[in-house]
Amino acid sequence: LILSFDSLSRVDGSARFGFGLYPQYLTSISGPIEVRLASEQPSQSTIEVHVRPLTNVPGTESKKAAVILKEVLQMEVIMEANPRTLIQFVVQALVPTPNVTDELVAAMINCCTLSLLNAGSVPMRGVICAVSIVRLSPVKGEIPIYKVHLTEESIPRLEATGCFAFLFSDSVSSNTYASSCIWTNWHSSYSGSAKAVDEDDLVRARDVARSAAREVWDRMK
Amino acid sequence: MRPPSPSIPEKEFLFSALKQGLRLDGREFFETRPVTLTFGPELGWVECFLGQTRVLAQVDAKMIKPPPERPFEGVISIHSEISPMASSEFELGRPSEEEVTITRMLDKVIRRSDVVDKESLCILAGQRVWHLRLNVHCLSDSGNLLDCACLAGIVALKHFRRPDVEVIGEEVTVHHPTSRAPIPLSLHHNLYCFTFAFFSDTSIHPVLDPNHLEQRLNGGLISIALNAHRELCVVQKSGGVPLEPADVLRIVNVAVQKAKDLDVIVESRLREDWEGRKVEVR
Repeated sequence: LILSFDSLSRVDGSARFGFGLYPQYLTSISGPIEVRLASEQPSQSTIEVHVRPLTNVPGTESKKAAVILKEVLQMEVIMEANPRTLIQFVVQALVPTPNVTDELVAAMINCCTLSLLNAGSVPMRGVICAVSIVRLSPVKGEIPIYKVHLTEESIPRLEATGCFAFLFSDSVSSNTYASSCIWTNWHSSYSGSAKAVDEDDLVRARDVARSAAREVWDRMK
Repeated sequence: MRPPSPSIPEKEFLFSALKQGLRLDGREFFETRPVTLTFGPELGWVECFLGQTRVLAQVDAKMIKPPPERPFEGVISIHSEISPMASSEFELGRPSEEEVTITRMLDKVIRRSDVVDKESLCILAGQRVWHLRLNVHCLSDSGNLLDCACLAGIVALKHFRRPDVEVIGEEVTVHHPTSRAPIPLSLHHNLYCFTFAFFSDTSIHPVLDPNHLEQRLNGGLISIALNAHRELCVVQKSGGVPLEPADVLRIVNVAVQKAKDLDVIVESRLREDWEGRKVEVR
């Protein structure tokens, strides 16, 4: 994965992130700044997220991604610290994104976290890292395999996919860390109960995701 | 919240410095900020840095049925909406005056001045033409977004390669970039835009490539788009303090010289990037 800080001149913080060789998203954050009276909240700050695709005007996919990001970021930012202010995120896609996959959602979340760290002006509860996990049907044997990246040849074996976001905070030493899964959209890519997801499956997928997210966090540090 | 800049001390400092012939960032009056062009992995993706001002431009092409009144020409559309990333003063959905100027100027520079040969975009007359879509994203506004956006747009069009198309009778075959090398767009000329800011105090000479503070405090802006062969295409002065004809002629001469220099830079960067890519032509 690739990550870098941009230093755009008119915003408080900015960063690029991508899974792979090229950055997929560039995020900028301004905050806490002045808020419009209509969206002002008396006891906490307002978070505004704009997701802009590379081509075309922002549509429903962008809106869906923006809603997800807002939810995740509300858990990361300490909202009560700056009431009646606005924290504004703009997520700009750097690669064409015809549909927003789970991997791209994970990249967006990581990118927003990086730009928050770059800004330093917004108080945060912790660092949120996200990865997307896929479950493949086993080649031989009974246990399905969980992988972080989907390669071309594994697509026919795809059973379930999802993105997990973990909040990391309070690391006493480099070996122990506290992390909790705060958001996921683990879902099966088949309809019907044959290859459905259940609780054990979710727990297993979450563990795989946790270690992958830890790698992302180490890289961020 | 603090009132928006520029503050009165900033204003007075800028004017007194300019009267003494000094610009706050140390440049000469007719010196632009350094231009950096970064190309992405895809063809037609370029990020243009003009000092701290940054613009990203990307070109996309797809085939459509042409409108009936122009069956022999391709279609070019430009999308340039400024997001709050450029500056928190920009709001989505409510174009500011600067944004309208940029949209109109991009339209004049890229579409109406016939930079791209539209007839070469025709595949099958009346049925299939190329629709080029230029997306311009302003990432950071540190003054003179207009020049940066125009430059990014032109360089993206020069960098872009469209898939090769073969027409046999009525049948159209589009070749994938891996089977046949994509071909560049045919451009008539390269246009470069230069913006000069002048101030309400007429003893101060106009400055080229205003930075953020100079643009906020200007008494008027004049933009000139021209190519490297001394041909003027667009001269735009919207409002502002009246200028003497001698000043305008001097500005045009400066712009002509700068266009030649910029053309050399752009061509050398494009050549460098092209050599770095592995393209085999069979």
